[in-house]
Amino acid sequence: MAIFKTYTIADIFGAHYSTSIFGHIQLGMLYVIFYGGFFPIFLNTVHGVKSIKHIYIESALLLGADQKRLFRKVIFPSSLPAILTGLKVGLGISWMVIIAAEMLPGSDAGIGYLIMFSYELAEMDILIASMILIGAIGALLSYAVKLITDQTSVWQAKER
Amino acid sequence: MSFLRVDGVKKVYHGERKEEVIALADMSFDCKDQEFLCILGPTGCGKTTLLRLIAGLEKTTSGRVILDNKTVDGLSSETTLVFQQYSLFPWTNVLNNVSFSLEMKDIARKVRYEKAKHYIDLVGLTGFEKAYPYELSGGMQQRVAIARALAHDPRLLLLDEPFGALDERTRHRLQEELLSIWQEEKKTVIFVTHNIDEAIFLASRILIMRDRPGRIDDDIKIDLPRPRDRRSKDFVRIHIKIREILEQILTVYNQGGE
Repeated sequence: MAIFKTYTIADIFGAHYSTSIFGHIQLGMLYVIFYGGFFPIFLNTVHGVKSIKHIYIESALLLGADQKRLFRKVIFPSSLPAILTGLKVGLGISWMVIIAAEMLPGSDAGIGYLIMFSYELAEMDILIASMILIGAIGALLSYAVKLITDQTSVWQAKER
Repeated sequence: MSFLRVDGVKKVYHGERKEEVIALADMSFDCKDQEFLCILGPTGCGKTTLLRLIAGLEKTTSGRVILDNKTVDGLSSETTLVFQQYSLFPWTNVLNNVSFSLEMKDIARKVRYEKAKHYIDLVGLTGFEKAYPYELSGGMQQRVAIARALAHDPRLLLLDEPFGALDERTRHRLQEELLSIWQEEKKTVIFVTHNIDEAIFLASRILIMRDRPGRIDDDIKIDLPRPRDRRSKDFVRIHIKIREILEQILTVYNQGGE
């Protein structure tokens, strides 16, 4: 958990620095979303592809698969569960980090900004509405990934 | 010219400390078209290696495998292999598994499902088209694997102890099914096993292999009438004869080795 926190803090400051590098707050935000999501998705994808059983690849080749189809019909579906796990974690981090970044000085829009703004003006109703909205969108994102997972990756949990 | 010729094949692996391990030493045999050849031998005698070489999954160190007058150099559409381990694609259902090779040939979905259903029916699994591999028992999974291999329509079907992990009753039933498929589809089959009973029940010819290094010890033609009766005198006689050969192989190895 501690690692998670430092990682996230680095992300938020990343937003701040990248704003000055990219010269525009929106670009900085985009960078934060990318940076927050990239590693969980990337590392999980690598893991998913690496852990494909060799026998599936040999079977596909024996049944006449070429490189292109091997990728589309074997490597992709068999690593999809791992990719989706990465997506779930990555989306969570991105969402968390973007709000935190929006709270930093220099930001001029977004839910994070709205929270800071309403806090300073003591507008509690807006503050609470923002908090509910953050939770709802977060839940929606994770539900969307879960829907795809249920559609495509049930086999992995059931496999012996 | 025979359908398949294994000509002086040698296969050497390099172990972890660069030492040479001779998996196969100078193997030669012929296999006729539509023959049912069983390869019998103790575990670790290079049976699986031999099949992988014939399938083109690995390259020989020296010697050649000649299939239908062409030297095997990589995978061929004439050959396919059913593994001992469960090898169905777990992310998709039986129908898609069986029609996989047809999909690779860009055959239209409707046509390939039609064909796949024929093979699913052939292995007695009609009604399980939409099932996923994890929902099937071991015996059913191996049936699907055989159906998947047949749908590829190879002339040479290689089977590497496909029934090794199954209980005896299931194994007997699948052996009978395999025989009727072989007679119906007119394939050449090479079946690797270490089960004597299985080899005699199935084969028109049995090659017995010896280990360390792997090579052919005996070549026995089985011309018992089919369907074969495991309790018939001739069956039992051949069984005893092969058992003696195998026991002798193991004795020699024990005296020389440990």
